[in-house]
Parts: sequence; structure tokens; C-alpha cells
Amino acid sequence: MDPFLTSRIVTDVLGGLTNGVIYGMVALSLVLIWRSTGVLNFAQGAMPMFATYVGFALLSYHFGYWPCVVACIIAGLLIGGLTERLLVRRLYGKPEINPIVVMVGFLIVLEAVAAAIWSSFPRSLPSPFSSIDWQLAGKPIALSPFTVYEIATGLLVMTAVAVLFRFTKLGLQLRASAVAPEVSRLLGVRVGRLLTLGWMLSTVVGVITTVLVSSNFFTGLTPQVMDGIFAFGFIAAAIGGLESPVGAIIAGILLGIANQFVTDFVNQNAVIIIALALLIVSLMIRPSGVFTKRTERRV
Amino acid sequence: MITIDDLTVSFGAVQALRSVSFVAETAKITAVLGANGAGKTTLLRTISGLKEPRSGTIRMDERNLVHRRTEDIARLGIGHVPEGRGVIGEFTVEENLRLGAMMAKVNLQQGLSEQYEQFPVLGERRRQHAAKLSGGERQMLAMARALIAKPSVLLLDEPSLGLAPLVTAQLMHTIQSLCDTSDLTVILVEQNASSALRIAHHAVVLHVGKVVANDAASVVAADENLRQYYLGLVE
Amino acid sequence: MRLDRTRRRAPIAMVVAVVATVLSLVSAATTREGVALSIAFDLAIACVTTLSLPDLKSSHPVVSRAALTLLALDVAIFITFFLNSSTNFNLATGAAMSIVLLGLSFLTGASGQISLGNGAFMGVGAFAMAIWSNHHATTPIFLTLLIAVACGALVGLLLGLPATRLRGPYLAGMTLAFAVAFTFILSSFNSWTGGDSGLQLPTEATAPRWLDGFFHAGTSPLTTTTLYITDFSIIVAGVAFFFMANLFASRTGRAMRLIRDNDVAAELVGISLPRTRVAAFIVSSAYAALGGALLTLINNSVSPQTYSFALSVTILSLIVIGGIGTISGAVIGGIIYAFSTNAISWITTQTGLNPQGNFASQLNGIIFGGLLILTMLFAPLGIAGALRHLWSRIRSRT
Ligand SMILES: Nc1ncnc2c1ncn2[C@@H]1O[C@H](COP(=O)(O)OP(=O)(O)OP(=O)(O)O)[C@@H](O)[C@H]1O
Ligand SMILES: [Mg+2]
Repeated sequence: MDPFLTSRIVTDVLGGLTNGVIYGMVALSLVLIWRSTGVLNFAQGAMPMFATYVGFALLSYHFGYWPCVVACIIAGLLIGGLTERLLVRRLYGKPEINPIVVMVGFLIVLEAVAAAIWSSFPRSLPSPFSSIDWQLAGKPIALSPFTVYEIATGLLVMTAVAVLFRFTKLGLQLRASAVAPEVSRLLGVRVGRLLTLGWMLSTVVGVITTVLVSSNFFTGLTPQVMDGIFAFGFIAAAIGGLESPVGAIIAGILLGIANQFVTDFVNQNAVIIIALALLIVSLMIRPSGVFTKRTERRV
Repeated sequence: MITIDDLTVSFGAVQALRSVSFVAETAKITAVLGANGAGKTTLLRTISGLKEPRSGTIRMDERNLVHRRTEDIARLGIGHVPEGRGVIGEFTVEENLRLGAMMAKVNLQQGLSEQYEQFPVLGERRRQHAAKLSGGERQMLAMARALIAKPSVLLLDEPSLGLAPLVTAQLMHTIQSLCDTSDLTVILVEQNASSALRIAHHAVVLHVGKVVANDAASVVAADENLRQYYLGLVE
Repeated sequence: MRLDRTRRRAPIAMVVAVVATVLSLVSAATTREGVALSIAFDLAIACVTTLSLPDLKSSHPVVSRAALTLLALDVAIFITFFLNSSTNFNLATGAAMSIVLLGLSFLTGASGQISLGNGAFMGVGAFAMAIWSNHHATTPIFLTLLIAVACGALVGLLLGLPATRLRGPYLAGMTLAFAVAFTFILSSFNSWTGGDSGLQLPTEATAPRWLDGFFHAGTSPLTTTTLYITDFSIIVAGVAFFFMANLFASRTGRAMRLIRDNDVAAELVGISLPRTRVAAFIVSSAYAALGGALLTLINNSVSPQTYSFALSVTILSLIVIGGIGTISGAVIGGIIYAFSTNAISWITTQTGLNPQGNFASQLNGIIFGGLLILTMLFAPLGIAGALRHLWSRIRSRT
């Protein structure tokens, strides 16, 4: 094959992987909440965004990058938990549109309040990693210390979530409360607390995603930083099947790579249009998600 | 020991239980019998805190159970095998058992091997999804999952439903021997009155939410009126 | 006996009202003073018609709805003659928005699903209107509006076909993605959509000749055009509401409500769930497109920045606050929209906030988002539901 084309493809795959990991994490956090509480959290971008602003407010007090990240995570835990307790808990068992509308309202409020406090101008975070691509034989490859940081953190988070759910007692209880809340309670599982914990966990996944996205020198932190990414995350989650965490991650990564190819070979504007088209086609072909095993639904 | 006193439960205008009182003694099997809609399931769900009673008390030994949360009641040592068995189909057999052992202070490995010994089928299928078990195997799993936590009270909602007579007999035997070898209090809800009466020490008969008989199992079994009108046992 | 009489009386009263309306319009065409008088006269006639409404409602529901619409239009147009042009302009946008809200209200009321992309569907109509007028300036306005509606319906079909088949939040998520994608779609077709600067209409919408006197007679052209476009928007909204009221009450409408309340039962009585849901979604996107096209007409131009995701969210807030699933909720939401900018700047000055400050610029989002949450938690049927509740309590007391 033409060596130029080959290197272009390699570059696209590597470049797409970065975005793909981000989409995969957003999709994963959506699926976690959807499975456990039946709410598609439209504020899944805005809540972490807010936590990130709160955490990085410490920059003004001369804290470094990493202490700020820790503060972001703590803020995320609090926001996730409080949201479930004060807002979402009132919506269980209500018609389907009620939680959708409330979470959209929450999205608006959070973005407006963040802009009111911190303004809408992008705020750059002092990432300890350079965003300048490494060179190979004089040509830049689509990898920089920063993208490696992004990909590695993303994969670490996904692995941690998988291990938690597969192999720990806590994960067993979280899964049980999601699929069979009443039976779980009969076995002594404190389902109410676990639902709160599920929201906290998913918000933390979102916070880490947001920190990665906005540490990027070229993006920075803005109140709307997650809007577009949320859209891609939802598309990935829906393609993978809202029920399947693994499907969400795989679909997210593939979507990121596909986007990079579209950017490269078509143009930037076409990216979300083609993603939307992919979603439409995949829902037509396999409504329950491309990566879910086909199981009969019990009545 | 479970003491139920003047318990009334309603769903809106429908009274499912009306002023029900009886005592389930420690180390005894108390059968609760009655036709469809008599209120048997509602009784067990109220004991477990899944349904708030309108009035009345439920006590376990000296502790009041009313107004407690379901999970707290479970942690007091009340195992509930719900109607329709309630095994989690998405989980493997072993995951179901692990979930059951979660709250009790028992050694997991020891508990697992005990249950696999008692129900060898489960041991053979420990990695299989529970959804793929047969009805009888699922019933065994549900029982094992309740027993692994070493409960002091066991609430069984129609364990024989859908089982072959031979399997039912085995199951009844298992329940009986559990009761004999430990201080387990069993409340056994059954449609299948004759097999329940055979192993029960005490029997309570419900009819549209009211207690119509509350006596030793042998007495209930011998009462022609009860047999004919409430238990449908006509020779 | 009584019913028989009213049944005969009702159409006659209707005919009288219609004739009176036409006559008064014609007589108004001469002087501006005549306008107010004639509309007052017209109003009186319409009131007479409404007196027979209770009977009319059961015997000729469609006629009674027509009468109600006519009456409401009379009142609204009458009022516009006494307002200044900036208020009229606000009313016109409110009327256009109420059409969009009506579509969304219908979607939720009929299928229990929700769209987060109606701002983008509005944009489809708005741009279809502008593009068509720029290429075929001679097409009558009504026809151009219909073309815009057809475009909205078509895009609705494309998106709704996969998403409405599914339970759960798929439609909401997919329409959100569409709303986010819409600005990118517009800039992908730069040569058609005019890029960042958008499009101007080739000619301003002005009153046709025979209505000259009705709107002119000694006022400045600016006022006149605004007045004309306001009344035009109100009439289009009236027609849209009239059709929707009939659709709500029709067999299809009943089937749709059954789906929302109990889809299993609906399927058992032989209603096709996917087809009905798709139909409801298409109606809602067509209405959104009509509202958008009207907005282009009102502004005489269209800009891509208007049709961002924020607009879709505003639309959702308005209908939820007004009362989702109800017809009156759409009117209330439209009125709120018409005056929300004024109200918010009033709040800013009253509270002494710096109007250029961060907080003042975000007040809109904070208030609408907050109201959205509070309404859904404490009064899920919005203002319309609250009013209805109040009304039934007053009625039960007397
Ligand atoms: N969730 C509910 N809502 C309304 N009524 C209910 C509900 N659950 C039970 N009931 C009513 O309460 C009464 C008792 O029901 P219950 O399920 O306790 O009967 P049961 O004795 O267990 O019957 P079966 O032998 O058929 O299982 C019935 O009349 C039933 O209709
Ligand atoms: Mg029962």
C-alpha cells in the first residue's frame, strides 16, 4: 500500500483513539446510571463540568494540578450523591419524561450558574503533559505525552469499573440492586444507598473524563465543554445498547476512530452528521444495540 | 418466634388482611393455607417490610418489625423466599449464593460448600446463569440462597409451585430436617395443603384476609369443614 | 326538543358571525377609526355565537371549535390595534412559538415521549422558508409555508422512524443529538444556508392591496408592517390550533392518548404503536417547522445562531411551564416567550444587577432551568394544569 496512506491511517487510528476513549467513558457513565436507576442522565456532562470548576477553583489558592484533580473528584462525589438524594429520588416510578425533563433543567441551571460564577471564557488548566506531538523520523505522529495520559487514564478507569463490578462484593450488590431491587432488599442489600453510590461513581467517571477533556491545551474548561461530547457519548451508548457497559465502551472507541477518519477524509462538519446517520442506521438494524447479546425479555 | 397481633393490611379500598393474629413458634413449622387471593403473600410481604400495615404489630422475639426497612428486617435474620422464587436470572448460581451470604457473618467458602452438599445440582451448575436452570433447580437455588445466611426465621411462599410431586416431597423433607436440626422458625405458605399439613406443626387458615382456623396441624387436617370449604381437600 | 332547536340555530349563528366578520373587515378597509369600531361590532357578534356554544359543543364539535377560534382571533387582533409595534413584534414571535409548543405538547400528550430537538426542526422550517423564497420569490406565502412544513415533516420521519419504535429515552437522546448537530449541518451546506450570516428574505411581507386601508391610514410604514405581520402570525397560529384541537378530539387523537396511558392495552385493541408514535412525531416536527418558517417571515431573515441547542431547551422549558400535553399550555408558553426578554431585563434592573455582568447574562438560564425542575417536581401539568385544577375546585364549590 501507498506508504503515505498507511501513515495517514495509522495517524487517524491513534488520533481517534483519544476521542474514542473519552466517548467510551461518557457512554459508560450513562449506561451505569441508566441500568441502575432507569434515568438517562442528560446532566451527565454538566454535573462533572461543575465539579471540575469547583475543584480547579483551588488554583487561585496556589494548589497544583493534582491536588485540584483530587478536589474535583471529591466535588463530583458530593454532586452525584446529592443529586440522587435530593432530585432523582423523587422521580423513580414517575412517567418516563419526568426524569428527562428534570435532568435537562438541571443541565441548564448548572451551565448557567457555572457561567455566572466563572464566566464563559475558556479557562486553561495547567496540564503537566505537553500537547505537542512526538516526531518519528521528522514527521509528527498523532501521539503526544498528553494524549498518552488521556488514553492511559481512560483505560485505567474502564478497567477499574469493570473490576469493581465483576469481582467485588460491592459490585455484586450494585448489579443486584440494578436488576432486582426488591429481591436484593430481601437479602439485606441496602438498595437506597447503593443507588446513591451508583450516581456518585458515575459522576466520578464523568469528572475524570471532563478533567481529561478540559486539560487539553486546545479546549480548556468552559461551561459547555461537555455538550458536544455528551451527544457523541449518547450516540455511542445507544449504538452499543443502553444496557451494556462493554458495548458502550467499544462503541465509544469505534465512534472516536470513525470520527477521525471522517474529519480527515471528509471534513470537520460532517463528523456529527455521520455519527447521527450511524445511530439511525444501527437503531434500524438492531434496536437493542449492536453489542448486546440477544436475550428474550422476561415478562 | 414471630408474633403477629391484630394485623390489618389494605390496598386502597381492598382489605387484604383483616385483624390477623397468630404465633409462629421457634423450631416449628407453621403452615399458612388458603385459596387464591386469601392474603398469604401479602402476609409474608408485610412481615418483610415490603408492605406497610394499616395497623397491628409484628414481633420477632421481642423486637417490633413494623416500620422497619426491608433490608434491616432481612439483616435481623429473616430469610424470605418470595413467590415466583426471585432468583436473579442474570447472575450465575454462585453469584446468587454470594449475594445471599453477603449480609450474614458466615464464612463464604464454608457456606457455599454446605449448600452444594445439600443441593448437589447447584454445585454442578455453579457457573451457569440462573435463568437457564429448571423450575425445580431454581427453587433449590432460592432456598439455598436464603439458607446460606443462616437465618433464624424462614418465610417460604409456595415453594412447591410448579414442582413435580416427588420433588415437592423431597423439598418438604428438606424443610422438615432443617427445622429439626436447628432453631429455625418456618412460616410455610402453601396452596398444596395436604403436603404442607403433613410436615407442619401448626396451621393457620386464611379466608379473604381473615383467620378462620389457627390450631395444631393435625387438628386442622382432621377438621372436615375446613378441609371441604377452605382447603379444597375432598376425598 | 331544546337540542333540536339549538342544532338548527347553531349553524345560522355561525353564518351570521362569519358574514359579520367579512363585512367588518371590508368596512374597516376604509378608515382606521373604523377598524376599532368594526372589530368591536364583530366581537359582539362572536359573543352571540358563543352563547350557543354549550349546546353547539355536543352537536357540532367542529363548528364550535371554529367559533371559538374565530372568537379568540377576533379578540387577539382587536388588541393588537392598541399596542405599540415592539409589543406587537413580541406577540408575533410568541404566536410563532406557540405553534412550535403545540406540536411538542401534542407529541408528549399523544405518545408519552419527548423531543429535545424541536429548535432544530424549527430551524428546518425557517431555512426552508428562506431558501425557497430566495429561489422562487413569486411563490405565494401560504405555499412557501406549506413547503417548509413538508420539509419539517420529512426530517421528522427520518429521525422518528428508528427512535419512536423504541421504548425509553431513545427519542429524547436522538433529537438532542440532532439539535447539537444542526448548526454543523447548516454550515455543511454553506452555499444554500448563507453560512454564519444566514439569509435575508428577498421582499418584506407586506399587507396585500385590498387590506391596505385596514392597516394603513396615516401611520408609519414600520408600524403598519409589524401590525400586518403580527395579525398574520396570529391567524396562522389560530388555524394551527384549530386543526390540532380537532386532531386531539379525533379517533386518532384518542388512540394516541391511550398509547400514552397504557400501551399494552392500546396494542390489545389493535392500535399500531410504532405507526402512531411516528405519526405523532411527524406532526410535532411539522408544527415546529411551521413556527420556524413564520419566525423567518416575522424577522424577514434567518440566522443559524438562533437555532442552537439552547433554543430546543427553551422550547422544552416553555411547554413544561405552560403545561405539557395540553393545548392551553402552548398558548401560555407562547405568551411567556413573547414577554420573557422584557421580564428578565425588568428583573435585572429591579435587583440592581449589572446588566453587562456574568450573572445578568445567565439569569435566563437560571430562571428557566429552575422553573423547569420545580414544575416537573411539583406541578407536572404546568400552569395549564394548575388553572384547570383551580377551575374544577371553583366549579365543585358552586
Ligand atoms: N399490589 C396490589 N395491589 C392491589 N391489590 C393487591 C395487590 N397485591 C395483592 N392484592 C390483593 O390482595 C389480596 C390478597 O392477595 P395475595 O397476593 O396476598 O393473595 P395470596 O393468598 O398470596 O394468593 P395466591 O395463592 O394466588 O398467591 C387479593 O385480593 C389481591 O387482589
Ligand atoms: Mg400468593
